[in-house]
Amino acid sequence: MIEAIPIQLVIMLVGLAATMAFVGLNAIVLVYLERKVAGFIHRRPGPYEVGPHGILQPFADGLKLVGKQIFTPKGADSFLYWLAPMISMAPAVVCFLVIPFGPHLQIINTNVGLVLILAFTGVNVLALCIAGWTSQNKYSLLGAARGVSQSVAYEIPLLLSVLPIIFLTGTFNLFDIATNQGSWPWQWFVVTQPLAFIIFFICALAETNRAPFDLPEAESELTAGFHTEYSGMGFALFFLSEYAYMVIAACVGAILFLGGFKGPIVDGWWWFLAKVYILLLIMIWIRWTFPRVRFDQLLNICWKWLIPLAILNLLITLLVIAL
Amino acid sequence: MDNLASENLAWIVLFGHIAIIVAGGFITVLSESLVRALMGLILTLFGVAGLFFLMAAPFIGLMQILIYVGAVSVLIFFAIMLTNAWPGGDESGNISGKKVIFAILASIAPAVFLGSAALRTAPPSIFVPEETEVRELGRFFLEPYILPFELISLLLTVAMAGAVILVFERRKKK
Repeated sequence: MIEAIPIQLVIMLVGLAATMAFVGLNAIVLVYLERKVAGFIHRRPGPYEVGPHGILQPFADGLKLVGKQIFTPKGADSFLYWLAPMISMAPAVVCFLVIPFGPHLQIINTNVGLVLILAFTGVNVLALCIAGWTSQNKYSLLGAARGVSQSVAYEIPLLLSVLPIIFLTGTFNLFDIATNQGSWPWQWFVVTQPLAFIIFFICALAETNRAPFDLPEAESELTAGFHTEYSGMGFALFFLSEYAYMVIAACVGAILFLGGFKGPIVDGWWWFLAKVYILLLIMIWIRWTFPRVRFDQLLNICWKWLIPLAILNLLITLLVIAL
Repeated sequence: MDNLASENLAWIVLFGHIAIIVAGGFITVLSESLVRALMGLILTLFGVAGLFFLMAAPFIGLMQILIYVGAVSVLIFFAIMLTNAWPGGDESGNISGKKVIFAILASIAPAVFLGSAALRTAPPSIFVPEETEVRELGRFFLEPYILPFELISLLLTVAMAGAVILVFERRKKK
């Protein structure tokens, strides 16, 4: 009977469990990092009380969130209300299945890896909509409306900035894209496509609702935006998925532009993780450095700068390839 | 033994997806709240995407998710948010028996016609589908099917221009 179970299914299930563990672990590290870096930028020590240098703070946060009362707002559609955090979290786990962490460390090597990531990260907007609408709260609804217009607008330059890499490599396979680049930094696509990398990074910030594009959850205007009403694990799942999408964006950026697992001397997952964490640290750094953009500024950046520049970059790349 | 098991698994996956699609359709039609109806629609779209995967066309399946779930459904949701639809639902009410019969007939008719046509004139096909490369798919669109492909994009451009014109006319009236 055991022989009858296809090996791909076993690999996929084990991989899903492993990615969930990876997502959780990353969230723990990132919560600590974010608070610590924020502290240093504010010239204060950051979390300091729980454990040496506050290293156990994320666990305390997690325990607090698990212990909180689960509360559904009055008049809300409770089924959809609790479905939203799950819809937000589930696609994030799927995206990690196709990411090549190392030369031999990839769960599914598929020809459409990049499309899979783009498709499943798009589902997150839907969760945001459901959360905002079912919360029966004006702040949540405004946050959801902002989230939708933001992510629909920034999807266009994001795709346009990814296209030159696809034209250069001729594949959607993330493993092949990584191996198309050399081991040394000057052989990476960030050197030949610097503009695409910058556009991609800005769009990734906007798609993951990170500051300075955190309008859907702007604390000073909308309390907490679309997840204002969520308590306990509902909020924790949104939080987890936000960090998971950050990690996915950093992973895709590292693979497309920074050579993925390729690095000087010996290729491997250590280079990949180092690049991912450098990108994540830059994201955290940006969050505590730039003020939040206004909504008209947000859309102006997208339509007046990023899209024309991305199209121009694409055309120049095509011209160079054709020559 | 191994072959038989995977064949059975394929049938289970096929009927599982059909069940998901049909359930999604019923949720869409029968639910009182607009948002729940939209959720049913999204369930159906996911089911169809799964069928594409089963037919070894993961690119089409993912495009289904990217475009229909990630963009079209989200825009429908946006429209619902603007119309101030309340969760209790204002679409509910007494439905006459005549309407139910017509609705069932209308939904079964295409299934019967298309199904009989497909069964009668089934093209010879392979039992295990093979994945077509995205490169070949693109070449297919841009060489033998270039005219319909370009016409579709023209249609989309016209629709977009129409939407822009409608918005500007409304603004002038104000």
